[in-house]
Amino acid sequence: MNPASSAFSVRWDIFLLTLGMCLVTYIPRALPALFGGRLRLQPWAQRFLNLIPCAALTALIFPGILNTDPARPWIGIAGGIAAALLAWRRCPVLVCVLAAIGVDFVLYSFLP
Amino acid sequence: MQQATREQFFRGLKAGVPVMFGFIPVAIAYALSARQAGFSALETILMSLMVYAGASQMMAVGMLSTGSAMGPIVLATFLLNLRHFIMSTYVMRELPEKTRLPQRLLSAFCITDEGFAVFSAQKDENRTMPFFAGLAVITYLSWVGGSAIGAFASGLIPQTLLNSFNIALYAMFIALLAPGLPGKPKLCLLVLFTAALSALLGRLMPASWALILSTLAGAAVGAVFTGESAPEEENLP
Repeated sequence: MNPASSAFSVRWDIFLLTLGMCLVTYIPRALPALFGGRLRLQPWAQRFLNLIPCAALTALIFPGILNTDPARPWIGIAGGIAAALLAWRRCPVLVCVLAAIGVDFVLYSFLP
Repeated sequence: MQQATREQFFRGLKAGVPVMFGFIPVAIAYALSARQAGFSALETILMSLMVYAGASQMMAVGMLSTGSAMGPIVLATFLLNLRHFIMSTYVMRELPEKTRLPQRLLSAFCITDEGFAVFSAQKDENRTMPFFAGLAVITYLSWVGGSAIGAFASGLIPQTLLNSFNIALYAMFIALLAPGLPGKPKLCLLVLFTAALSALLGRLMPASWALILSTLAGAAVGAVFTGESAPEEENLP
């Protein structure tokens, strides 16, 4: 993607993307409002929907994390391990994110 | 505003303060990633105003910077945010019967993992429309405000630090995923299966389609074989 020309420009393709994301995010949020909360789902449908975030997060992490720095996959792995260790100890999301950024910042600062 | 209504509204605001501390830094991290990927400041803020779903905004930025087309990004956003359907169903059931449709539709826009978690933890007396409105106002403003701070601060931050922000979204995904796994061997197996599938499909097709297919396949296999619920997500709109 080419960078935007100025801080206040809005490109058409980015606007349409945002609008599309807005609609597909709002519709599932709004449907239960129309039903007034009277909707019941089949157990298998409920399980499938419950598992979507877990599956989506996994697919988002692998293999993308190896490409945070395409020339140096260990940058992504190191940051990921830091985040995973802290998450395992039930640290807040923010702490995990800051720790991963910190680890990678140290690596970038001191290694070639 | 009536006294009781106002009191409920402020109680909602107060209940949202911890969420605010969670949202602002994550929103700043999102905005820095977006600026790093070539978004303008206004585009960065507009996405927070219109979509209001952090993980999918991070994902969109990540997919755009790897050259993905728009269609797969919208589809992946849909899948990732489908979970709000469940949360919205719950919140709509808990709001008082007499709540009007326009108020329900506006509340629905503000359904987030966080807001849902706070609201569902309330005593019955707090499960009112003004309380939810207070909660929604503070969380939405935190997300948009944090995005604005990040969008305009990006020029002040050195390149090495910006490069280090590339890990931010993966760290966030890991932080959301990992706490739900210990003690749930079937869910761990599902994560391994989905990761392997995603890595395999990633070699066969564009990354965005591999993401969508492995998400659907992972959740379907999980729904058939595990019967276990997904981890509770935290700190994300």
